[in-house]
Amino acid sequence: MKLSRDGWGGLAVLAASLLLFWLTLGLKDNPLVPFGPGFYPRIVLGLTILLSLGLVFADLKGKKTESKPEKRNYALVALQFGVFGLYCGALPLLGFRVATVLYVAAASALLDPPRDARGWLRVAVLAVVTSLATYYIFERYLQVLMPRGRWTGF
Amino acid sequence: MFELLWQGIEGMMAAKYFVPLVVGTLAGIVGGALPGVTITMTIIVVLPFTFGLDPLQGLAAMTGVYVGGSAGGLVTAVLLGLPGTPSAIATTFDGHPMARRGEPGRAIWLGIWASFFGGMIGGLFLIGATGPLARIALEFGPWEFFSLFVFALSMVAGLVEGTLLKGLISGALGLVVTILGNDPVMGRERLTLGLDVLSGGIPFLPVLIGVFAFAQIMSEVERPGAASRMREGIDAAVKLTASHLKVLWEIVSRPVMLLWTSIIGVVIGVLPAIGGSAASVMAYDQAKKFSRHPERFGQGAPEGIIASEASNNANVGGSLVTIMAFGIPGDAVTAVMLGALTIHGIQSGPLFISQNPQLAYGMFAAYLIAQVVMVVLLAVLARWMLRVVTVPKSVLFPVVLVLCTVGAWALSNAMSGVWILFIFGIFGYAMVKFGFPLAPFILGVILGDQIEINLLRAVMTDSDPWLFLTRPISGGLLLASVLSFAAAIWQHQRAQRKTAAGGGGADF
Repeated sequence: MKLSRDGWGGLAVLAASLLLFWLTLGLKDNPLVPFGPGFYPRIVLGLTILLSLGLVFADLKGKKTESKPEKRNYALVALQFGVFGLYCGALPLLGFRVATVLYVAAASALLDPPRDARGWLRVAVLAVVTSLATYYIFERYLQVLMPRGRWTGF
Repeated sequence: MFELLWQGIEGMMAAKYFVPLVVGTLAGIVGGALPGVTITMTIIVVLPFTFGLDPLQGLAAMTGVYVGGSAGGLVTAVLLGLPGTPSAIATTFDGHPMARRGEPGRAIWLGIWASFFGGMIGGLFLIGATGPLARIALEFGPWEFFSLFVFALSMVAGLVEGTLLKGLISGALGLVVTILGNDPVMGRERLTLGLDVLSGGIPFLPVLIGVFAFAQIMSEVERPGAASRMREGIDAAVKLTASHLKVLWEIVSRPVMLLWTSIIGVVIGVLPAIGGSAASVMAYDQAKKFSRHPERFGQGAPEGIIASEASNNANVGGSLVTIMAFGIPGDAVTAVMLGALTIHGIQSGPLFISQNPQLAYGMFAAYLIAQVVMVVLLAVLARWMLRVVTVPKSVLFPVVLVLCTVGAWALSNAMSGVWILFIFGIFGYAMVKFGFPLAPFILGVILGDQIEINLLRAVMTDSDPWLFLTRPISGGLLLASVLSFAAAIWQHQRAQRKTAAGGGGADF
C-alpha cells in the first residue's frame, strides 16, 4: 500500500481541508441572516475533503507504473526561491533600488554562473540597469511609489 | 452600434491610445516568439505598466499583447520548429517543413495573413455577439449566475489535461482561497489563521501572477541547461520575402476552411480555459479531415498553417466575448485583464457594455486595429524575432520576476501583495509538481466570491433549493455541468482503456 505522488498530494489537501473545516466550527452565526459566515466555507471544504479522499483511495487502488525519473535541477529551483524570499524580506529594509540590484545579480549569477570578469560585469550591468530602469519608469512616469528602505532611507 | 464602433476606432487612432496599443502588440509578439514565455507571462509583465494609465489605455495595451502574442508564436514555430507559445504548436507541423523546404517567407506570411483573417473573423463575432449575450445575461438572477459559474468551473476542471479528480480538487482549492479572510456578504472576518495579511481576503491578482509566473519560470529553471542561449538552428540571414498576392490567394481561395477553422477558434475561446493550443490542434485536425490531400499534412501543407493560425487568433475574440458578456475569464490572459478592470473600479459582466459603452467599443476598436498593427510589426520585425530568442534565460527570468514583484506591490502599495505573490509562487510550483492543473485553480479564485454571493442571495431570496434546478436556464446550466463531468469521465476511461490495450499502465 505505497502512495504515489497523487496520494501524497491528496493527503496534503485533505489535512489542510480538515484543519480549515474544524476552524469553521468556531465561526459564530449572525441572527440577522439565515446563514452564517461558516455556511459556504463548510460546503467548499466538505467538497474538498471528499475529493481529496477520492484521490487518496484512487491512488491506493490504482495500478502504479514506475517511470524513469527525468534529470531535474531542483537545487537550483530551491536556490531561486530562497533568493526571491530574501528579496521580499529585503525590499522594506533596503528599498527597491538596492534590493533589486542584489536580487537580479544573485538570481542571474545562480542561473548562469559567470566564468570571468566580463561575465561578472555583464551581471552587474544587468542588475543596475534593471533596477534603475524599473524604478524610473514606474516612479517617474507611472506614478507608482516604489518601496523605500528603512535601513538605507531611499 | 456602428457609430460607437467608428467613434472607438477614431479614438483609438489618437496617439494617447495608439501608442500603448502598438507597444502592447510589440510586447505580445516578442513574448509570443520567445519559447518558454507564454502570452500569460507577457501580459503579467505588462500589467504593472498599465496601473498609471487610464482604463482604455491599459485595455488597449493588453488587447495588443493578446493579439500580438497569439500571432508571435508562429515565427519561431515556422523558422525553428519551436512553438513560441503553446497555441502555435500546430503551426510547427507544416510551417517548419515548408520553411526547411526553402519557402520560409511563404510559410511565415501564410501564418501572418491567416492570423489576420482569423483575428478579424473573431472580431466580427466579438462585436456582434457580446451585446446580445450580455442582454441574455441581464435576465439572469442569482440562481442562474451561480449555475453559470459552477458550469464554467466544472468545464474547466473536466477538460484540462490530467485526471478529473485533480482538476476538481484544483478548482476546489481555488474556492478555498476565497473563503479565507472575510465573508463577502456581511464583511465579517473568518479563517484568517491569526494573520493580518488575510484580514481583508486574498486579492486574486498577486495569486494569479505568483502561480503562473513561478510555475512557468521554475519549470524552466529545473531543466538542465535551461539558462543557456538558444543559438542552434538559427539562421539570421534567412530570407522572408514572398509574393503577398499569391499568399493571400492561397488563403482566400479556401474560404470554407478559413471560416470553419476560425469558428472552431471562436467557440473554443468562448468556453472557459480551454485555450488557443486546443483550438489550433483541433482546427488542424479538422482541416486535415476535410482536405482532399490529407497525406500532404505534416510535409508543408499550406492548409495546416492557415488552419492553426486562423483558429488561434479567432480564439482571442471568443475569449474576450466571455469576459465582456459574462465576466468569466476565458483563459489566464483574460483573467489578468479582468483584474486590470477591477483595479480601475470597473466591473466586467452583463452590465459592462451598457454602463461603459466607450470602454467596450474602444476595446473592440483596439482589437481590430491590433490585427493591422500585428501584420505591420511582423512584416518589419519577423527577422529580428530570431535574435530575440537568443536572450538568455539568466537575463530574462530575474527581470520578469522583478516586474511581477512591482505588479504585486503596486496593487496596494503594500508588502502583503509581494508576500502573497511569493507564497502562491511556491504553491503554484508545488501544484505543477504534484500534477494539479492550474487553470481550474485560478478560475476558482476568480469566481469563488461570486459563487458564494450568488448562492447566498438566491437562498435568501427564496429558501427553496429546488429553484436551482427548476428555473430553466439555471437547471440547464447545472445539467450541462453534469454532462461535462460525464463526458470527462468517459474520456478519461477511454484513454485508460487505450493505454491498457497498449500494454502500459494507467497513471491515475
